[in-house]
Amino acid sequence: MDFIASLIAASIRAGTPLLFATLGEIITERSGVLNLGLEGIMITGAMTGFAVSLLTGNPWLGVLAAGLAGMAMASIHAFFSITLKADQSVTGLMLVLLGIGLTGFLGRNYIGQVAEYIQPVNIPYLSELPFVGEAFFSHDPLVYAAMLLVPLTWFFLFRTRHGMEIIAVGESPEAADTLGISVEKLRYASVLIGGFLVGIAGAHLSLAYAKLWTDGMTAGRGWICLALVIFSGWMPQRAILGAYLFGGLDVLSFKLQAAGVGVSYHLLKMIPYVVTILVLLFSVMRKKEKFGAPSALGKPYIREQRY
Amino acid sequence: MIRIERRHETPGWLVYAVPFISIAVSLLFVGLLLLTVGVNPVDAYMTMFSRSFGSKFGLTELFVKTAPIILTGLAVAIPLRAGLWNIGAEGQLYMGAFAASFIALYVSLPPPLVLPAMAFAASFMGLVWASLPGVLKAKFELNEIISTLLLNYVAIYWVDYLVYGPMRGKEVYNFPYSDIFPDFAILPRFFGTRFHAGVFIAIAIAVLLYYVVRKTGFGFAVKVVGANPKAAEYAGINRKKIIVYTMLIGGAVAGLAGMIEVGGIHMRLRSGLSPGYGYAGIPVALLAKGNPLAVILSAFLFGFLYVGGSALQTTYSIPVSIVYVFQALIVLFIIGGEFFTKYTIRRG
Repeated sequence: MDFIASLIAASIRAGTPLLFATLGEIITERSGVLNLGLEGIMITGAMTGFAVSLLTGNPWLGVLAAGLAGMAMASIHAFFSITLKADQSVTGLMLVLLGIGLTGFLGRNYIGQVAEYIQPVNIPYLSELPFVGEAFFSHDPLVYAAMLLVPLTWFFLFRTRHGMEIIAVGESPEAADTLGISVEKLRYASVLIGGFLVGIAGAHLSLAYAKLWTDGMTAGRGWICLALVIFSGWMPQRAILGAYLFGGLDVLSFKLQAAGVGVSYHLLKMIPYVVTILVLLFSVMRKKEKFGAPSALGKPYIREQRY
Repeated sequence: MIRIERRHETPGWLVYAVPFISIAVSLLFVGLLLLTVGVNPVDAYMTMFSRSFGSKFGLTELFVKTAPIILTGLAVAIPLRAGLWNIGAEGQLYMGAFAASFIALYVSLPPPLVLPAMAFAASFMGLVWASLPGVLKAKFELNEIISTLLLNYVAIYWVDYLVYGPMRGKEVYNFPYSDIFPDFAILPRFFGTRFHAGVFIAIAIAVLLYYVVRKTGFGFAVKVVGANPKAAEYAGINRKKIIVYTMLIGGAVAGLAGMIEVGGIHMRLRSGLSPGYGYAGIPVALLAKGNPLAVILSAFLFGFLYVGGSALQTTYSIPVSIVYVFQALIVLFIIGGEFFTKYTIRRG
């Protein structure tokens, strides 16, 4: 039982960065903007968070800085894809190169350093419960924040005016425009909020999960999150399932290795990527779901010229 | 109020000026970045130039680094003509390298046949690796960007597994390397440098593909699918077939890049055999606008960035990742510039 509880706890911890980033991307994509740059934004957040924590001694300032850095990266995507109406795939891909390049360049001095990290907080009473206490209630605050963010995101998107306007813009920018909703403003806001959350995902990675900074430490998690968005059918409540499942996969490859299972470390490292492809395949095969991709996803909105 | 209007005509000079201006502005930005770490950008750029063009060694290195980028650039460019993003050239390169190494080390053939067999196996393996995302895209509209990218990780870990495990060389001590290839499995070299036959292969493939996309019915069909999928359907072009075929060509070409790297440079299979050549193919193809001959030229620019980048590393210990920053900035500025070729800003 203890083993299973610690496995669940570890899966949740490993899944938390995925959850932050997936929720962020869901908000972004709901507005009709596809941001493929998650990998680059996440790593920028991871490095910025670590650097700021190292310099100030306060990991929470690091988290805030990571969110703002994510927002700054996302604003590049917003400017190119919304204002300049550029191909969203290209800009997103370039954010990845930019993020990996910049963090490799600026982060080289932080490799091997130890920064203040985010301490776990046992929730009073609940954490003392057998099994569930260890599995669910002895995490760092960002883990709880991510959990809370799931219903919040759902509520925001489906129960508030701004949220529903974002969905409208993602489904039919023309119609939204006719109703007097500012397509550009809402898309900008969605991309920036998304970038903020992806930046925080990076900070959780470097300040709570790994507690260090290494070059390229996101290791494809950004791409897995893009797949998780498709898996979740653009619904926050399904994102939590996907994120923790993939967290579990990450943990499993570690645990199997530690248990001395006779399979190569490198083959175990492949598992999350292979499973992601299979899950993606499964998700797209049962199409025609009630909630699919936003209709205008990836298409720049160009208001017709009237002469 | 400022109004954005679509241009009816684009001035010719603007189309050609945009890439050059983009490169210049990127140099400016990276220069600022270099200043933040206390490196004089003018000195740094001089170093990059003199190391690449100032000696026989530098010049041949430039070609050696450019060759795989020509191939990965083509691997992105051909599917791009059909509107597809092949972001998997890196993984296809690794799988090609694996297949070529397998032939070189374990298959006994008459020596003159070994290099052709390696090239064939590498292209085929790259093709197989690209067929997955190609077929998934054609059948289920699965986003090829995500699938090709995830397959990169699988391919890289696969090669890691091999060189740490079953294909690990007998006398390599603690390095993740296979044994060295026999002589007849190594591409001929020239001028007493690393300049190897793969450079000619890469250029020949680019010319061949230029012919295919410009002069054949297939090339035309690809163009129509890329320009307007709906029109392609009306014209009786099978869009799904074109999707799969262009991905297969892309994969085969990237696989060949893996072969010329192991057969021409490393002479063995090893971990981390590509410094991101597959990813460099993306900006290269974009810069060339999908034209295979232009890929050669834009690959040279990126070959220069790699040679210059390693010169910066040895001289100023600046991480090579600065090359990625360059790549990203050049493309972003080109996109920004293209906005002005399509639109004009008016007051009114």
